[in-house]
Amino acid sequence: MPHSSPPPAAPHPHNSLTRIGWRRLRRDRVGFAALCIVGAYLLLALAAWSGLVASHWQDEVAHPYAPPTLFAGSAPHHLELDAADIDAADRRAASAAAQDSSGATGLSADEDPLAADLAAAEQQSAQYRSAGQARADSLPLGADQRGRDVLQKLLQGSATSLQVGIAGALLALAIGTVLGALSGYFGGLLDDLLMWGYSVFTSVPDMLLLLAFAAVSGRGIGTVVLVMAFTSWTGTFRLMRAEFLKHKGRDYVRAADAIGAGHGRRMFHHILPNVGHLLLVQFSMLTVALIKYEAILSFLGFGVGVTQVSWGAMLAEAPAELLQGYWWQMLAVTLCMSLLVTAFSLLADSLRDALDPKVK
Amino acid sequence: MLAYIVRRVWQMVPTLFGVMLLLFVLFNWVGGDPSYILAGKNLSAEALAGIRQQLGLDLPLPQQFLIFVRQVLTLDFGTSWSTQQPVSALLHSRIGPSLLLTGSMLLLGTVLAIAIAALVAYRRGSLTDRLVTLIATCAMSVSALVYIIAGQYWLAFKGGWFPIMGWSDSTLDNLLHYLPLPLLLGVIVGLAPDIRFYRSCFVEELGHDYVRTARAKGLSEPVIMLKHVLRNAMIPVVTSLMMSLPYLMMGAMLLETFFGIPGMGKEVVMAVERSDFPVIKAITIYIALATMLFNLLTDIVYKLIDPRVQLH
Amino acid sequence: MNPAPPLLSVRKLRVSFRDEHGHGAEAVKGISFDIPAGKTVALVGESGSGKSVTAMAITRLLPEHGCHIDPDSEILFGGRNLLTASRSELRSLRGGDIAMVFQEPMSSLNPVFSVGEQIIETLMLHTGVGRKAAQQRALALMQEVGLPAPERKMRSYPHQLSGGQQQRVMIAMAIACEPKLLIADEPTTALDVTIQQQILQLLASLQQKHGMAVLFISHDLELVGQFADEVIVMHHGSIHEHAPVRQIFEAPQDAYTKALLRCRPHLASRPAKLPVIRDFLGDSCYFEPPQRQRGYQTDDRVILEVQGLSVDYHSRHGWFGHHSQRAVDGVSFTLMRGRTLGIVGESGSGKSTLGLALIRLQQASAGRVLFEGEDMLALTPRQLRDYKRRIQIVFQNPYASLNPRFSVAQILTEPMLLHGIGCDTAERLQLAGDWLEHVGLPRKALAKYPHEFSGGQRQRIAIARCLTMHPEILICDESVSALDVSVQAQVLNLLQALQDELGLSYLFISHDLAVVKHLSDQVLVMQQGRCVELADADTLYAAPQHPYTRQLLDAIPQGWPHCIRPRPA
Repeated sequence: MPHSSPPPAAPHPHNSLTRIGWRRLRRDRVGFAALCIVGAYLLLALAAWSGLVASHWQDEVAHPYAPPTLFAGSAPHHLELDAADIDAADRRAASAAAQDSSGATGLSADEDPLAADLAAAEQQSAQYRSAGQARADSLPLGADQRGRDVLQKLLQGSATSLQVGIAGALLALAIGTVLGALSGYFGGLLDDLLMWGYSVFTSVPDMLLLLAFAAVSGRGIGTVVLVMAFTSWTGTFRLMRAEFLKHKGRDYVRAADAIGAGHGRRMFHHILPNVGHLLLVQFSMLTVALIKYEAILSFLGFGVGVTQVSWGAMLAEAPAELLQGYWWQMLAVTLCMSLLVTAFSLLADSLRDALDPKVK
Repeated sequence: MLAYIVRRVWQMVPTLFGVMLLLFVLFNWVGGDPSYILAGKNLSAEALAGIRQQLGLDLPLPQQFLIFVRQVLTLDFGTSWSTQQPVSALLHSRIGPSLLLTGSMLLLGTVLAIAIAALVAYRRGSLTDRLVTLIATCAMSVSALVYIIAGQYWLAFKGGWFPIMGWSDSTLDNLLHYLPLPLLLGVIVGLAPDIRFYRSCFVEELGHDYVRTARAKGLSEPVIMLKHVLRNAMIPVVTSLMMSLPYLMMGAMLLETFFGIPGMGKEVVMAVERSDFPVIKAITIYIALATMLFNLLTDIVYKLIDPRVQLH
Repeated sequence: MNPAPPLLSVRKLRVSFRDEHGHGAEAVKGISFDIPAGKTVALVGESGSGKSVTAMAITRLLPEHGCHIDPDSEILFGGRNLLTASRSELRSLRGGDIAMVFQEPMSSLNPVFSVGEQIIETLMLHTGVGRKAAQQRALALMQEVGLPAPERKMRSYPHQLSGGQQQRVMIAMAIACEPKLLIADEPTTALDVTIQQQILQLLASLQQKHGMAVLFISHDLELVGQFADEVIVMHHGSIHEHAPVRQIFEAPQDAYTKALLRCRPHLASRPAKLPVIRDFLGDSCYFEPPQRQRGYQTDDRVILEVQGLSVDYHSRHGWFGHHSQRAVDGVSFTLMRGRTLGIVGESGSGKSTLGLALIRLQQASAGRVLFEGEDMLALTPRQLRDYKRRIQIVFQNPYASLNPRFSVAQILTEPMLLHGIGCDTAERLQLAGDWLEHVGLPRKALAKYPHEFSGGQRQRIAIARCLTMHPEILICDESVSALDVSVQAQVLNLLQALQDELGLSYLFISHDLAVVKHLSDQVLVMQQGRCVELADADTLYAAPQHPYTRQLLDAIPQGWPHCIRPRPA
């Protein structure tokens, strides 16, 4: 039997598409740099999460609003606040959110449900204060209103935001993929039912749905992750439904049917690896979106709990600080967040190009 | 066409039912008993019972759901728990400022984004194109919060070119005085993602065979871009635009909160803060209705610009 | 006699493509040829021969990025070098003196403008007439290219026309400004064979009427033999032979041309083994193998009997409306063990649906499929399993039918795993390697992935995948249609060899009557879901009974000297 044509002129033999995609990504300098940055953030987040770094972010180690080291001379002169001032400021900040509602429902300060917590917090901070540490005049990235190190806060906040973004994206991806796969592959009544659910969720804008969920659930990382996953699975669902619909009619899936592969094998052994690159891109985009959502939610006070810090929670302190000329916390958060989000976006672009099986 | 519209409206019923079910599950089941929040510290049994009776929370769940359905059908959502105002009157007064802000934002943003996107797509691969794409990618990565905080601080507080916040009863005053800064910031926030999306629409169209035919006919590049490509690229662009229209109703939540504009977005935030469930439910239903109507409208507009689309 | 200068001269044209890493690949390797005014020159070659690149280079429509034309190249048209012409010069030539028709009419027309508008646009651009006059002229043009009801068609959008009508619109647009040169890049490849013949006739008559030169690009030597004056045969970017059509067909000089002419199955002969290109390249002389006799014999045993098979496609409108369309309508036939039944039809005839329904990849709505007496359509999924193993399918597109994420080893061992063939992985791998060698691929190909193979090699892998299950019936659904002529011959020879060796029975589905004749004992002709004729292959081709069969047979391009117009002396 004659050979049909000259042997394939592949420079590297035995390349799976995945390996080719990886090599293409490595050759793409921008994409690879983005990947490294994202990786570095992940490592930092892991370190912060496991308590290796920034576990003492709540310690008040410097004077309130101590400036960054580089700008120690030129920064606006910070007011020497005494304990009473700080207390008052604390109280103002903590009860700011409650003020509107307490006014409307006729609550006095004593009836404030947060009063007990506040008192406890005050006691705690009093303990710290009485410890009488020497307070620094300047810190690498400055200090916040209570004299906490912005760098430590930033590390801890990055960990929280990444954790929320990635966990939310993974959960949303899982929901969207499973439902989308079922819907697109089987069609029929199941598809009708799931599409109904899809149209219900998409007829309410994301942000409104997020807030509606936030209104009934409490605060905290777990809640935020759940809320975001429940509201953002729809994009992945639509994508996966369309892909499975398309792929189930492809010849290679039909061939798998002809050789006797069952539904589950066709769905997850044959089709899923062929849409995996889309999921990776979707994951990057979803993580970016959720990190941004988390910032807004936390800023509005519906995000992570009061004892946790995230980028949104840090930005929430920014307007008041700016008015007094303390710009460093906002700048630090903005740069830190932008770098990650840019890296993730560029990574998504590069992944899309590198993993596209059509482009040779 | 009419038969199609009637059928589509008829198909909205199950979706609307689904939204109601979702809200009901969310607020009457997952949300727990809101009377605790309303009663505050005075947790006397009578007070609680009173509130529960007043809100209809002592009724069995199916009956509560029926009450909710009736509210939706009559579009009468009762009174706000926090201000005791009728919800419909409250929302009526909030919709104007929202539409003014987001409507002008959408108009200005879309025109700018399409113009820039067409320009960079036309010169794709050039330095301008790569620069604009890079800037857009970086600009997208900065949180909307930062734009607003920084803009309000430097342009209004430090620069003094705009009022820091506020809103008046006169539309003209709003347009000239209070609107420009939020409008500017809103456009800046929305511009980068729009440019990127529209550019990709244009570039994708440029790869089609009919563009080659147009070149083979001897048409010049600007004519190809403005006549052949633009018309085709408008299909996804219009779709995304129409889809974003319902968001107009909700307004730009952050902008309204920051600049004290009494619109729907601010109302949503406040309602969530105060656990004012009737207001949240009402806004959600209204927006869902608007979304469904605009989806229908999108399909009809689609038919107008794309002769291949068949409505059935 | 002093010959008039040629209309177009291509001199030392060299085009290379560069990928993003700067690796260059030369697509056209310094070719030179002339197109005389008013003549038809055909550029023939298989995929990758550089024929389309040449055409695009003439009109400078190659992509600007990654494509490099050697500065020594020249394309002279009316004394001007097109490769150095300014943009505005090019624009006035394109659509004016040089017009083009492309392969895919549907995507080549702008979907959102009416076809009338697209013709009018060209007219107004190049002739400078007003809208009213352009409209009149467009109407006349549409009449000239034979579009029915041109007034109404003017306002139609491309998607509302059939493929043939779309191509007529493209031609009307091309001849609108009386071009001196019409470049037609595979203008009939996407069309059915009967439509193809009509379009060719139209092109031929227009060429004579308007006295324009035509550069006709095609992969099909037989097709261009029907109306070209000169033929240029290209292979791997260089010209192998350039001669008048008569010489190409009657006394080809180049080995590659000879091979191209011989390796395509012909209606007139049925060699036991088709010649392939390497038969002509060596020093040894090629000897025609003996002819093969085909046809069902009286002692054949029935393996598959299909009775009144119908398939409906259901489409849903909204949530309640249903709409069904009959794709296959009461088809019956018998397949004998070790024989081949050919199924021919044009697109939309239901031939592929029929193949899918037989192995229950498509739900049949009526009828019986008796596999050795057992109705396959009535089996439960569990019972079906073993029957599925015994009847396998090879699809048309070798690029789509192999899972791109699986290695060849995975592709070949999966069926064995599912059907419990071979006791462990090592044995399955051994078997898979055996089958690979059986279909003519080296054993080390097991570790590779589908994208590392050419189309023909992939089709061999697809065949090997079926063979691993020891099937008795193989359905070949347009299995060689996507392949180049030379590769097609090799795969057809492989199928023949496997049938002889393993006693396989084939259902060979194709639109290509010549290929079907080569491989089939019986032939079934389908039109719009119905079987219009079923007969022994030789009988059917010698004496077709149904008018549709005759129409199909008449439309087969037969090359020189079956020209479709009187050739000027």
